[in-house]
Amino acid sequence: MSRRSAIAFAAPAVIFLLVFFIYPIVRTVQMSLTDFTGVGDATFIGGENYERIFTRTDYLEALWITIRFTFVVVVVQTLAGLVMAALLYRLPAIRNFSRAALFTPAMMSFVVVGYVWQFIYSPFSGGLNALLRSVGLDFLAQGWLGNPDIALYAIAIAHVWMFTGYTTAIFLAGYAAISPEIDEAARIDGASSWQRFRFMELPLLSRSFTINIILSTIGTLKTFELPFIMTRGGPDGATQTLSLEIIYQLFRNFDFGFASALSAVMLVVIVVIAMLQNWYLRKREDAV
Amino acid sequence: MNRRRNRVGRVLANGGVLVVVAIMLLPVLYMLTMSLRTPTDIAQAPLGLPLDPAWENYARALPAMNYAQAILNSVIITVAVAALTALLGSMAAFPIVMRAGWWTRIMIMVVALGMATPNFVVITPIYVIFRDLGLLNTYPGIILAYAALNLPLAIFFYIGFMSTIPRELLESARLDRCNDWQVFWRIVRPLLGPATATLSLFVMLFVWNDLTYPLLLLTDPAKQTVTISVYRFVGNQNVLPDQLFPAAVLGSLPLLVLFLIFQRRIVAGVTAGAGK
Repeated sequence: MSRRSAIAFAAPAVIFLLVFFIYPIVRTVQMSLTDFTGVGDATFIGGENYERIFTRTDYLEALWITIRFTFVVVVVQTLAGLVMAALLYRLPAIRNFSRAALFTPAMMSFVVVGYVWQFIYSPFSGGLNALLRSVGLDFLAQGWLGNPDIALYAIAIAHVWMFTGYTTAIFLAGYAAISPEIDEAARIDGASSWQRFRFMELPLLSRSFTINIILSTIGTLKTFELPFIMTRGGPDGATQTLSLEIIYQLFRNFDFGFASALSAVMLVVIVVIAMLQNWYLRKREDAV
Repeated sequence: MNRRRNRVGRVLANGGVLVVVAIMLLPVLYMLTMSLRTPTDIAQAPLGLPLDPAWENYARALPAMNYAQAILNSVIITVAVAALTALLGSMAAFPIVMRAGWWTRIMIMVVALGMATPNFVVITPIYVIFRDLGLLNTYPGIILAYAALNLPLAIFFYIGFMSTIPRELLESARLDRCNDWQVFWRIVRPLLGPATATLSLFVMLFVWNDLTYPLLLLTDPAKQTVTISVYRFVGNQNVLPDQLFPAAVLGSLPLLVLFLIFQRRIVAGVTAGAGK
């Protein structure tokens, strides 16, 4: 391939990435050092925006909420996906059907999932309370999204519900790569189902763990839609994630400079966490 | 004896897992049944079934959501983004695979960063740039923004698939006096067909369901996508079930139908995209 045609082939994508990706990132960093409000001139104010983020408790709180939410979602979603995949691997008759059924929620948008679950959690005629009352657990019924101690976890459940099929499918793809001979050998050696899972499948699935954990971490850290739809960040800021804070600073306060600083912090958090996970999980993969 | 116990165990295991799967599907079923009930009916029996289906819920929602127009908008944007992403992505991957050099590593680093970067990080400058260029509220604007957002994934995806094409095939085409452009269009692109289908489904799913970009970049009601139409129609203050549930069903229907048809390809595509 000639040098000239190599340039010609890559040029459109490179120009695209420069204009709509690299340049915006540079602009984000640039704007984060100013008090830009979207119109007029921007004054350079140095690290003031960043100082505001790291000295005010509400923004640190948003960061902490985001990390807590991500942790709960990633752990539950990975475990649920693993359990479902391990079971379906052993039940070929219902495997394809179940995988598709579990995947269905991932086809729906965050908007639809958010609204539907908001109604399920509703204190009045919501499905969850009605269900609890019908089985005699009246004392548990409450306004799930109105309780600051519960709201974040209630949203996490909706999120996990949406993406467990995804995790299951990725684990099942990992299972499909396990060679039948190894499986057969373990059976002949008299390994029980649990032993095969614990000592053969778990180590062989380490690559699926890496993919699942990194994908769901990146996806969940930037989550915005579910808290935006279901609680608007409430009650009492209990579900105010970092991305929600960015949108509010941008379109409620028109504080473009500060929103940019928050975005830059978010990018650093995501890249650092993804790199640490990648490093650790790869090391773990190599160890088995 | 042992065999019979095995069989009983197997039936129980299958049944147990199917029950779990059914429970996972309950919210979808809830959405469907609730969409055909009136608010009074729901208030009286929150978990009841639509014995007397309230089709008027849909009759009201369809025009109020401007559903036909919203579907058209979503289709235009989704298809254009998928096509543009597939074209630019495969073109960029071609020299990366065929003529690796010092610049390859830079490209791959940019691509990796692009895949990890959430749209929030670039949303403020994108908004400002679009406003200054007069691209707010235009189809080309949002299409360009989405294409850029999905391009890193596409390049990454195509690099993986192109590396599996045997070099001899391309060499022999070259011997037949094909230039690079002809090799790409006549030999490489057709071989990428399945990869393109997979990638396109993935991109279309993301674009169709996205709330953020149209919320910020398409404020004109005539240009709103299906997702925005659901968002606006349901509103946030007093959520009325006879508006919420038909809107939720109508908003999910096109993709659920697509999923039923292309189920295997979509699941395979998502896992392949994740695994590369």
